[in-house]
Amino acid sequence: MALVGMMGVAAKVGQVKLIDLAAIDHEEKSAADIINSVCEELGFDYASYATMNPVKGDVQGYANYPDEWKIHYGSQGFHHFDPTLYKSALSIAPVDWARFDQDEKFNSVFRDAHDFGITSRGLTVPVRGPYGECGLLNVTRDCSDAEWEKLKKNVMGDLQLAAVQAHDTVMQSGLLSKALYLPALSTREKEILQWVAVGKSQQDIGDILSISHRTVEVHMRSGREKLGALTTPQAIGRAIGLGIIAPG
Amino acid sequence: MIIVIDGINQHKFSDVLDEMFKLRARVFGDRLGWEVNIKDGRERDMFDDLNPTHVVSIDDDGEVVGCMRLLQTTGPHMLADVFNSILDGEPPLRSTQVWEATRFCVDTKKLGRGRGKNSVSYVTSEVMIGSFEYAKTAGVLDSIAVIDPVMNRVLQRSGNAPYDYLGTAKPMGKVVAMAAMMDCSEERISGIREYAGIEHDVFLTDEQAVARFARSNTAKPANSNHQPLTGLESYFVEQMHSARTKHEVEAVLKLIEALSDRFTPEQKFALLSTPRAFAHEA
Repeated sequence: MALVGMMGVAAKVGQVKLIDLAAIDHEEKSAADIINSVCEELGFDYASYATMNPVKGDVQGYANYPDEWKIHYGSQGFHHFDPTLYKSALSIAPVDWARFDQDEKFNSVFRDAHDFGITSRGLTVPVRGPYGECGLLNVTRDCSDAEWEKLKKNVMGDLQLAAVQAHDTVMQSGLLSKALYLPALSTREKEILQWVAVGKSQQDIGDILSISHRTVEVHMRSGREKLGALTTPQAIGRAIGLGIIAPG
Repeated sequence: MIIVIDGINQHKFSDVLDEMFKLRARVFGDRLGWEVNIKDGRERDMFDDLNPTHVVSIDDDGEVVGCMRLLQTTGPHMLADVFNSILDGEPPLRSTQVWEATRFCVDTKKLGRGRGKNSVSYVTSEVMIGSFEYAKTAGVLDSIAVIDPVMNRVLQRSGNAPYDYLGTAKPMGKVVAMAAMMDCSEERISGIREYAGIEHDVFLTDEQAVARFARSNTAKPANSNHQPLTGLESYFVEQMHSARTKHEVEAVLKLIEALSDRFTPEQKFALLSTPRAFAHEA
């Protein structure tokens, strides 16, 4: 896995929803702009957006943490196990990091974070996409319990909007869409494409899987369509490129 | 009381979830006749594998008496992928501030009429309060619930009428399904609370929930819920009681095995352990 920084990469955003981005009055907004505005408008110290690439397992995103912390985080490999990413992705609701206070992994990340002046008081807003991918907006603020509860109550709706906006911005930017908007192929479709990739004919594949060649053809057609391919060789190429099947 | 089970704490509640899947099988499969997949007496579908949140009601005996399943509408959910005919060809809603509620049910066998604590009405309200408060805290403004006309009437009668419906009601197998819209607002929540007379915090902490569920979790004898026996069950119980030799017992067991598709796994297990299990019915 790799931690891929995308700071400064301009990305298109379709339309601005509710979070007040009026301060940024140019047309193109990047996820970096969105997380900066989350801090400015909603009163957080730091914010970050991350998404897991389901094909390679890379963690990609934007953060406005101090550079030293970003470097340390990456070099320590925290993105391999940070529960604010992996566990929060399992929730449909925003996850207050207080839920992780007994979590050894969380504590090992945030003991270090403390040395960089970053608080363990934070929360993650998970946003699920249509293909099962998940975007995560993380925010932190060093403050009292009372202040934190009040802040959460006031800004949770805005954070939901910022989260989906950041997610869509990254998805629509074209940077990740190829890898993340992975076509949902059935086991049968993948299986058949894999056999084609190793050089088997439709008839052979039918014999191997004990199904009729007509069934093989139907699955192949569906697989081609899902991959947006006109021909079988093109579908094989795309499926390999997306990591859905292995090269023959 | 309500326990919120999500992808993060579900490892603590596998037994509660198992009971919940059994409740769903009894309600949606047996009672309502929905076209659902029931395996080993449990109703589960692909959406249960996507880490939804389950809002589960556990009564004072520690038994699961109600539940509801919540999913984000930005990701895969039933209206987009299964109930899309309700939407009359329109694309589904997609918003981080709208959640979808499905598989909403209560245990009408265990719960009674009236408005008391062990009534259908009370538990329905409790599940609704739990899910709306959970959603509201998450910054969610509205929920869209896939329900049938019976549940729709229950909601209308309990200070919780949907404010609108998406698309049109559509027959789904033997029943009609509709997509009801409800706001997750303070007004609605206090309306339900007032109707049900629920003033307290409805949520259990994980620890409280584990302790409460443990009350019901002690080993029970077969057929402990004293369900009336079906004709076929009574026949087998009779046969077992009248069997005099080992050979005769084996013959009855074989017949039970041969007809096992006529029973739920629980029924079959109980029958196979006759006569012990049915001592009280003998």
